[in-house]
Amino acid sequence: MNKSVKSFKTDPKLVTRMYFTMFMLGVLYAAFSFLLMRLGVPIIFVAIIVGIFAIIQYSMSDKMVLKSTGAKEVSQKEEPELHDIVGMLASRYEMPMPKIAIIDSDVPNAFATGRNPNRSLIAVTTGIQKRLNKKELTAVIGHELAHIVNGDIKVLAMGNFFVTLTGFLMQMFFFNMLFGGMGRRREGGGAMMIAYFATIIVYFIGQLLVLALTRYREYGADHKGAEICGDPGSLADALAKISGTVSNIPDQDLRKLQTANAFLIISASLRGSGGLNLFSTHPSVEERIRRLRDLETRM
Amino acid sequence: MGFFNSKEKIFDDWDVISTFLKSETLLQNKGELTPARRAGILYSIDNSNEFLVNFSKEISSILYEGEGATKTSYEIKKDGEEMRWIILEDGNFTDLVSSTYTIGNAIGSNSDKNNLIAAIFELYLSVKIDENSSRTGVRSYCIYRYDRKAFYPFIPTGDNEGERDKAAESVLGKDLRDSGLIIEKDFSQWMGVWGIPF
Repeated sequence: MNKSVKSFKTDPKLVTRMYFTMFMLGVLYAAFSFLLMRLGVPIIFVAIIVGIFAIIQYSMSDKMVLKSTGAKEVSQKEEPELHDIVGMLASRYEMPMPKIAIIDSDVPNAFATGRNPNRSLIAVTTGIQKRLNKKELTAVIGHELAHIVNGDIKVLAMGNFFVTLTGFLMQMFFFNMLFGGMGRRREGGGAMMIAYFATIIVYFIGQLLVLALTRYREYGADHKGAEICGDPGSLADALAKISGTVSNIPDQDLRKLQTANAFLIISASLRGSGGLNLFSTHPSVEERIRRLRDLETRM
Repeated sequence: MGFFNSKEKIFDDWDVISTFLKSETLLQNKGELTPARRAGILYSIDNSNEFLVNFSKEISSILYEGEGATKTSYEIKKDGEEMRWIILEDGNFTDLVSSTYTIGNAIGSNSDKNNLIAAIFELYLSVKIDENSSRTGVRSYCIYRYDRKAFYPFIPTGDNEGERDKAAESVLGKDLRDSGLIIEKDFSQWMGVWGIPF
């Protein structure tokens, strides 16, 4: 790694949670496969079909993303500043220069895709270019490139493969129960019912685990991006700007909170504001900003 | 610090309030902030607490006697929300900060923690909101919440609840943080105080 890169201590809790989630996903799908095989379901056949789709999707992700988002690849001449930022960060990550694309949209956003650093693509919207200053845009691109370097696209493609497979099986079992099939007809109805309900449960738990993994990888990319840019504060500022967290500033008077606290067992000021985020792909912006500010104070 | 249960450092009120001294100098040098040399301590009245009931008699001895004596003047006011304010004024900003801490500490040490709500410093600032807009000489406040042990800016645009300049507060919050002040990280805790009586 480049000598100018600042190194922060890895968050052991986050790493533990990430590996635990991956382990649980492995256990879940291994147990599920075992159950289906015991019930006589031809899971290998289904896995091959879904696998082929997943490989096509994975290997062509950059082209598919360009097509589906309307992103247009841009040259150094067309976007010199963007190329300079990406080039500088790519050399810090010691990765090949990714392709760069622009999406003509006022919605501030950016993303990275590609199955490995050699086939990566980074895209930003015109909206984000307009709203962020150079330091903030650099921090956002640093975060996106961290996803590629951390192998997040591979990890999540794998997680999503199993979720897609379970979803496919769920539909298959449902139609099988309705119309019969798989050579077993009526006599296999009980096993099919068990397989169907097991699939629903595995699909649901699998989704939750993949979503949790996605959120952990976001924190990981924030951390790595902050290391590479040496500027966690700018990523926090960018997040605040993009997400419109300023709108979270309340319209309520502090004295009313004090009065309310008199009737509460847990102080309102101590309660989280994020709510249940089990179903979110990203962690709350407030929590990401809080972690980045913590990194900033440790610099 | 445990592997599974690491905790953030708990600051003392003075650790946080005293950062205002450094921050004020830095921002004043940049021409962005002028403290108005006034501050208020906001607390709720608890009639069962003898110390709070008789506190007005204690203030003089706290401020003007002993080692940390200052020339800070004070005034006690009650507001429409049935809260009490001790309004302090001192031409010396270091003494103002010190007196604010001392009074707050006296209330906090002799009452329920929930009685002590906030210490509020008055400021005038010039703030650049974005490339095209800026505001100068804006009357603003820096609120220190005792329960959160952190500051945040408050720029009211009127006396009614909810009337505030959130965009300018966000920019000022960043400047204050950059200058060393400990700023509340959770925007949802930046609660306003409308009708400040000073």
